[in-house]
Amino acid sequence: MSTTATQTKARTQNPVTRILGRILKEQPIWLFVPALVLFFSLAPATSEYFFDLKNFGNILLQAVPIGVIALGMTFVMINGEIDLSVGATVALAASLAVGLQGALGIFPAVAVGLAVGTALGVLNGTIVYRTGVDSFIVTLGAMLGIRGLVFIYTQEQSFYAFDFAYSDFGLSTIGPIPVVGLIFLAITAVLAWVLRSTRHGRDTYAVGGNREAALNAGVRIGRHVIINFALIGFLAALSGVLLSTQLGASTPNMGMLFELWVITAVVLGGTKLDGGRGSILGTLGGVLAIQILRNGLNLMQVPAFWVLVILGSIMIGVLFIDRQAEIRKQAAR
Amino acid sequence: MMKRIALTVATALLSLAAAQTIGITQNNVGVDSYQTTYEQAFIEYAAELGVDTVVLDAGGDEARQIAQMQDLIQQEVDAIIIWPTNGQAVVPVVRQADQAGIPVVVTNSNIAEQGFDFIESFSGPDNITQGARSAEIMCDRLTERGLAETGVIVEIQGQPGYTTAIERSDGFQDRFVEVCPDVELLESQPGDWNREKSQRVMENFLVKYDTIHGVYSGDDNMGVGALNAAKDAGRADGITFVGATNFAVGYEAMERGEYWGSIYQSPVDDARNALDTALAILDGEDVPFLNYFDTPKITQDNQSEFTKPVF
Amino acid sequence: MTQTVATPPPTWQERGLKLLRDQGILIAFLLLVIALAFASDRFLTANNLLGVIRQVSILGTLALGVTFVVIGGNLDLSVGSMLSLTTVLVVDLHDKIGPGPAILITILVALVIGAINGGLVGYLRLNSVIVTLGMLSVLQGATLIYTGGKNVDIQNQDATWFAFFGRGQLFTIGDVNINVPVVLFLGLAVVLGIVLHKTGFGRKVFAVGGNPVAANYSGLRSSRIVLYTYMMSGFTVAIGAIILGSRVMGSQNNVGEGWELRVLAAVILGGTSLLGGSGSIFKTVIGVLIWGVIQNGLLLLGAPYYAQWIVTWIIMIVIVWLDLASRRGRLWAAT
Repeated sequence: MSTTATQTKARTQNPVTRILGRILKEQPIWLFVPALVLFFSLAPATSEYFFDLKNFGNILLQAVPIGVIALGMTFVMINGEIDLSVGATVALAASLAVGLQGALGIFPAVAVGLAVGTALGVLNGTIVYRTGVDSFIVTLGAMLGIRGLVFIYTQEQSFYAFDFAYSDFGLSTIGPIPVVGLIFLAITAVLAWVLRSTRHGRDTYAVGGNREAALNAGVRIGRHVIINFALIGFLAALSGVLLSTQLGASTPNMGMLFELWVITAVVLGGTKLDGGRGSILGTLGGVLAIQILRNGLNLMQVPAFWVLVILGSIMIGVLFIDRQAEIRKQAAR
Repeated sequence: MMKRIALTVATALLSLAAAQTIGITQNNVGVDSYQTTYEQAFIEYAAELGVDTVVLDAGGDEARQIAQMQDLIQQEVDAIIIWPTNGQAVVPVVRQADQAGIPVVVTNSNIAEQGFDFIESFSGPDNITQGARSAEIMCDRLTERGLAETGVIVEIQGQPGYTTAIERSDGFQDRFVEVCPDVELLESQPGDWNREKSQRVMENFLVKYDTIHGVYSGDDNMGVGALNAAKDAGRADGITFVGATNFAVGYEAMERGEYWGSIYQSPVDDARNALDTALAILDGEDVPFLNYFDTPKITQDNQSEFTKPVF
Repeated sequence: MTQTVATPPPTWQERGLKLLRDQGILIAFLLLVIALAFASDRFLTANNLLGVIRQVSILGTLALGVTFVVIGGNLDLSVGSMLSLTTVLVVDLHDKIGPGPAILITILVALVIGAINGGLVGYLRLNSVIVTLGMLSVLQGATLIYTGGKNVDIQNQDATWFAFFGRGQLFTIGDVNINVPVVLFLGLAVVLGIVLHKTGFGRKVFAVGGNPVAANYSGLRSSRIVLYTYMMSGFTVAIGAIILGSRVMGSQNNVGEGWELRVLAAVILGGTSLLGGSGSIFKTVIGVLIWGVIQNGLLLLGAPYYAQWIVTWIIMIVIVWLDLASRRGRLWAAT
């Protein structure tokens, strides 16, 4: 197919279909999300409760803890790294934000939690960059170690937010939309812009895509690696804080296995583990897909054991479809 | 108050029209047989009584449990039974259910005191008392063996940070220094409710300490792991094993004379008690706020009075 | 090819440096052992050291198979829940159809699961992390569905020869018992070491992991090699499950939970690269032993569990860092 032919063809399509077509080609997960919504809206077992603004609000709210971290993981993974310590950071930040409230007040306590999360991110990033140890090992170690810090600080205790204003915030809504969900969407928009349109975003792709070439082009690799780890540290801490406003409490075991779900959401959204490719929009799709599935299966009363099997199979299935789309794209070229 | 009476009347009227629906969100089914047997008993008992149920499992994840509570509120069930993944973390969402006019019953392990205003009742065992009773079993046995002055013991705890693990351990340690002040608790390490892990922990204890007279484990599953390790090392004879939540393996080991004692706790009683409590509340009956069911001591001496646990 | 100018024999210094470069992890391991020997008089006893190997024998057996997958350029995050499923299976089937058939079926099931992973990754070219994460979830669910969520136990524990794998003792030297799990792990390490380093198949694994595109062009059937690496991983999981089931004589549904990362940690600690194409069975064995020695040593020192986690954090990073530093000849990676 010649180039001019493709161009004419593209020009004859109306712009809406063209944009839609591009989204679907770049992010096949966005095919899957409306399909899920359609399915659960029509299925007799769930139709009564699923297609309901309040339920959509719930889904958004439930997507926040994983979603906020997934945004940061998108940067880290495009950069060619990984962060397995996020779950432990969730627990540490939440424990600090709730545990220090009595002594410091809500806002300073939250600030301490976020600052510690960010600092641990900087520590991870610095170790990865300066020592050259694989980020998998660095953050796997941190996953254990930070959880250790949580247990030292909390002495195994859960903390309770005595001020109901804290948990009222976590459960508050504007119309049918939860405030915490809006915060998540706002951060998503900002980070989508940062990744697409700023120097840092472009360099993050460059470093993940071809480190040597980026280095030769004068990109300061270390700075981007450390910034991205700081970002995910901050976002993991924020996720912990937001989760603790929903719980009105913190527990030392919060955030267990979050890392695996976050990575799943990000990769479902089309970000490649070996770096250089991915997008925030795709990640949002991955996060929503997982949460819609969970919510719908809950409403359908699918037994918990089967939910695991279905979730796992669908993950592999989506990946398969994504792969087929990619093969076709390459063949078309 | 008027509102609540009106609500009770309304639900009573509704229950005439349609069967009642009770939602339950459990802690972590499948992590151990107790919780699994509980779920089965709950479903069977509900079917027996003709009650509609929505049965959910939080998989040990607080966030997921909150989501499930929200889903249950969304479905406007008549009452919610919650087995908290964490006593503190579920308080706000329980408050939310209360504000939506749905009565909440807490089952198995209680929520934090701050949440008491928002629940109708707690139905379940008393874990602190269980720990204390295990301490008494251990102390009595060591005294019988003439070790009340010189004995040394170790403890294998449940998974760190979980209410049941903490309460049993606290109950045990607090009571043990009262009844056996001269017996030293050498060390406590977590066995994560996992038999293989506690087997490893015990192996290390055995290397580290030449003398161990007793092992207290947060449940029998871990206790049998510790027993396995001691048998492998040829040191099981000198050790008194005491656990909690009598499992079938623990019961059998007691029959063989290898395992000394435990706490008998039936998941079937637990589940039935919870559903009965919820139904009584919907019918407007008076229910004690702390609706404990009894969990007696079981040792080699009296085990014939108990049927073997089904899990 | 060969240089005509005779190079002078290496000096002791050069030899030392080369040794440090090639065996940095091993040296770090020995230093760790020496440090722990000074810290606890219980540590450096034959019985304790054998105890350490026995305690890591299951982890180690899994790590041997995962080493193949990692060198082949992929990851296997499903080994943890595969361990849960196969342990439950071997224990449950033991009383139903007897130990022999139970073992055979367990190995077969693990091979099939490995083949599914390998087929999806090798032939369909799907991302190995997501495939095996998906499999993690599927197998966790399958285990729970199989047992209905209940623990499984072997009834007549003293009467079965199945006890041999996890509890048996082969022979005694002095007062030191040589246990079957230790022999199984180390024996399997030797055999798989030969397979990986001395056979054509092993060379192809390295080739595929080092450069999958080039391996394809040079006519190697990389898809099939990837398939085999996953089946190898499935096989070692089955062996691990047999040892575990025999040792505990029962199983919970979540026995393998979290093992996937622990196994990978051990493999990487040994110095096998996550990028594929390099590594060795010997390195994995050392990595597994480091993991075991850290856990055992800290327990002997009586450190509370959270202190163990923090020390593990530091030691993991420092060991890999020193290994890297000795190979590149300077401490810091970038200026």
